[in-house]
Amino acid sequence: MSDGVNWMAESGHAQAVGSHEGGTRRDFLVLAASALGAVGAGAVAVPLISSMNPARDTLAAGAPVDIDISHIQPGQQIVVLWRSRPIFIMHRTPEELQKLEAAQQVNPLRDPDSAALQQPEYAKNWHRSIKPEILVLVGICTHLGCIPGFNPQPGGDLGPSWQGGYFCPCHGSRYDLSGRVFQGVPAPYNLPVPPYTFVSDTVVRIGENPAGSNFDLNSVEQL
Amino acid sequence: MDAPRKQSGLVRWIDHRLPIFSFMEHELHEYPTPRNLSYWWNFGSLAGFMLVVMIATGIFLAMQYTPHVDFAFDSVERIMRDVNWGWLMRYIHMNGASFFFIVTYIHIFRGLYYGSYKAPRELLWMLGVVILLLMMATAFMGYVLPWGQMSFWGATVITNLFSAIPLVGNDIVTWLWGGFAVGNPTLNRFYSLHYLLPFLIVGVVVLHLVALHQHGSNNPLGIDRKGPQDSIPFHPYYTIKDMFGIGVFLIVYAAFVFFMPNALGDPANYIPANPLQTPPEIVPEWYFLPFYAILRSVPDINLLVITIPSKLAGVIAMFGSIGLLFVLPWLDTSPVRSARFRPVFKWFFWLLVLAAVVLGICGAHRPEGIYVVLGRIATLYYYFHFLILLPLLGKFERTRPLPTSITAAVLKPSVATGKVEHA
Amino acid sequence: MRALAFAAGLGLALLAGPAVAPAQEAEPALPKQPWPFEGVFGTFDRASAQRGFQVFNEVCSNCHSLRLVAYGDLGPEGPGGGLGFTLDQVKAIAAAKQVADTNDQGEPTTRPALPADHFVPPFANDKAARAASNGALPPDLSVIVKARASGPDYVFDLLTGYKPPPANVTVAEGMNYNEYFPGHQIAMPQPLNENSVTYADGTPATLDQEAYDVVNFLAWAAEPTLDDRHRTGIKVILFLLVMTGILYAGKRRIWADVH
Repeated sequence: MSDGVNWMAESGHAQAVGSHEGGTRRDFLVLAASALGAVGAGAVAVPLISSMNPARDTLAAGAPVDIDISHIQPGQQIVVLWRSRPIFIMHRTPEELQKLEAAQQVNPLRDPDSAALQQPEYAKNWHRSIKPEILVLVGICTHLGCIPGFNPQPGGDLGPSWQGGYFCPCHGSRYDLSGRVFQGVPAPYNLPVPPYTFVSDTVVRIGENPAGSNFDLNSVEQL
Repeated sequence: MDAPRKQSGLVRWIDHRLPIFSFMEHELHEYPTPRNLSYWWNFGSLAGFMLVVMIATGIFLAMQYTPHVDFAFDSVERIMRDVNWGWLMRYIHMNGASFFFIVTYIHIFRGLYYGSYKAPRELLWMLGVVILLLMMATAFMGYVLPWGQMSFWGATVITNLFSAIPLVGNDIVTWLWGGFAVGNPTLNRFYSLHYLLPFLIVGVVVLHLVALHQHGSNNPLGIDRKGPQDSIPFHPYYTIKDMFGIGVFLIVYAAFVFFMPNALGDPANYIPANPLQTPPEIVPEWYFLPFYAILRSVPDINLLVITIPSKLAGVIAMFGSIGLLFVLPWLDTSPVRSARFRPVFKWFFWLLVLAAVVLGICGAHRPEGIYVVLGRIATLYYYFHFLILLPLLGKFERTRPLPTSITAAVLKPSVATGKVEHA
Repeated sequence: MRALAFAAGLGLALLAGPAVAPAQEAEPALPKQPWPFEGVFGTFDRASAQRGFQVFNEVCSNCHSLRLVAYGDLGPEGPGGGLGFTLDQVKAIAAAKQVADTNDQGEPTTRPALPADHFVPPFANDKAARAASNGALPPDLSVIVKARASGPDYVFDLLTGYKPPPANVTVAEGMNYNEYFPGHQIAMPQPLNENSVTYADGTPATLDQEAYDVVNFLAWAAEPTLDDRHRTGIKVILFLLVMTGILYAGKRRIWADVH
């Protein structure tokens, strides 16, 4: 504060002494004032714009959720909400896992090796999960965002070659029981896998990575 | 403001199709302004600045606020706690209302003192009164939104005033409420109107500025500009002076926002609205206190044949106090504008200021004892000042000789013109 | 002179208005004390506020809710950085309370609270609260410090202001005499006494200490972003002083040829 006052006193004195160099001094003052004004305007814009970012309570509500998976029967799926998105948690049977492991060579998958970044590194495998029997997916079709239906039974309405998986009712995209997308359907990517970890054998925590990983769901190609 | 030379091609292309640049050049740069304006002339630009601040913060607050009786109070607290920088936007907006009124009241009193409402600026003045009315409506509705005790009960008291209107009063009140009492429908419509009215204010401000530019600003001497030597271009002289004024103003404003944000408010509004419990004191925000005092100072008026109930009389007196401002240019009959040359008027002007302060103090207290008496005296003086004093004074006052021109006054400071510059 | 008188008049109007707004009957003067969060450089005394939280949690929360505060606000993710509790402490504090939930059959049940949950109120609704409190409704304390004139001092004086009634005052059934409560008769019995709590950090729990700590906690609860506000304010005002100084110099320079 005292600096400002001294500065003013000096400039007043200088004014009385040399009015010839008024032009450059005036330009400097205008420049300095404009620069500070721009800083000020920016400083005002920052809080207003940043107020539109998710608020603290919104972020807190997006904290990891613990799900008890002990009652999911083999072949069953439950859907939970995390960060306002549907999360599929499916308990795959040994038969389904066998078919999945072999299916890589048989069925026409767009991205059988999960090359595109749609999952954390610990889910970059044929079962796209930590433990093969538990599948965790973000249940949002990578085409235009509908929620795919759960169709684990082979055959039926989806044709004799249907081995079980997900079928999106909006535009017909199909995924296998690891969430991998078929060729020839509108969806471009595999269903995303969220960060998750096993807190215990019966409790899965959605939204938190196992130790050593810092996968961020926002980094995937297509949510 | 100055278009750099190398862009003159682009500037000319645009200006030929939409004369923004030549408009700005004419109205903001060259625009001749009296050379002797004092700092009392900064308050118009300060008011415009506050209008922008209130709209900007209001729009961003509106993104986070919930206009429902069950959620409004909590949504404001959520803004204070959880929204990034929410506490800052809220306190700027809340204190901004007070500061908007401070600068506007000073701007109005400046006009009263220097006769800025006189010909040819009558419409300019009347547009200003319209802006004041819109501001008061906006502020009243805005204060209801946080849904605290004062929000609810202030809304109840003021909307109930309309029941004083004979015959249709109660229907009007029910229509205003959208229900049997102030409630959710009321809150929602106040939210909608509170968002709308500021943009109406912007429109009237534009008209206000157009009217101003017709004849240019008044000045402390109250005499017209006689020639180009009496004026200076608005830019850079008054642009820099206005910016400096904004700087000083911001320091005071920031002191309140950051260090005493609740000093001008009522603690009772941090209690969620309770329709079943009236607070011990119902007090409006400070900028409404004088009008509140006028409202409460009128007793039943017994006219032998009929009696005007005090509620109706109070409503008439309160709205009348603003209404008579519209006709002020015709009430004041003096040919001399500025109080600098009207020694008798000057004294009464300060009496008017005193009356306004006294009314404000009375408005803050319960209408008992000395406050009733003072309130009535001050109300009577207010009406006397405008309806009786001004018309008569104009005819009988001996004014001091006016300087021949602004420049003449500036060059000869001995001709009691006072300083043109207050550092 | 004129300008000064004018400004003084307006200043009077400004100050007189709110300052005398709560024109009450003759009340005993509220003893005031300096609080660590007051003043331009004021910040919360977090150690005291943590003790105050203990007082609130063990005593006050049996009747008073704190709806606007979430458990997570106490921790590092809280507004203004919280009260200094760690995330684990916050989770433990939350988990000690139960919130309403539904089980998989859709029946009402409870679950342990999470940091994202707001403080669990002691009663399901106002009627239950009144029934348990002699007909009076214990107010929510989230913003009580801002909801009373001279809030921090008022709350402190109220908590320490229970006295035997003077000879000429008859206290109504179920009420208690308090020096600083408007009307002097309050439904709440004295909530705090010496050693109502045992402080984890060993501070002697006198009545004054408990009241002081709980006021510091409630002041934080009423406005957790106060420290940010003060800090930002100092930066803003310093910036404005510099900028206004430059603008003033610019104004004088530009106007030099007019004078």
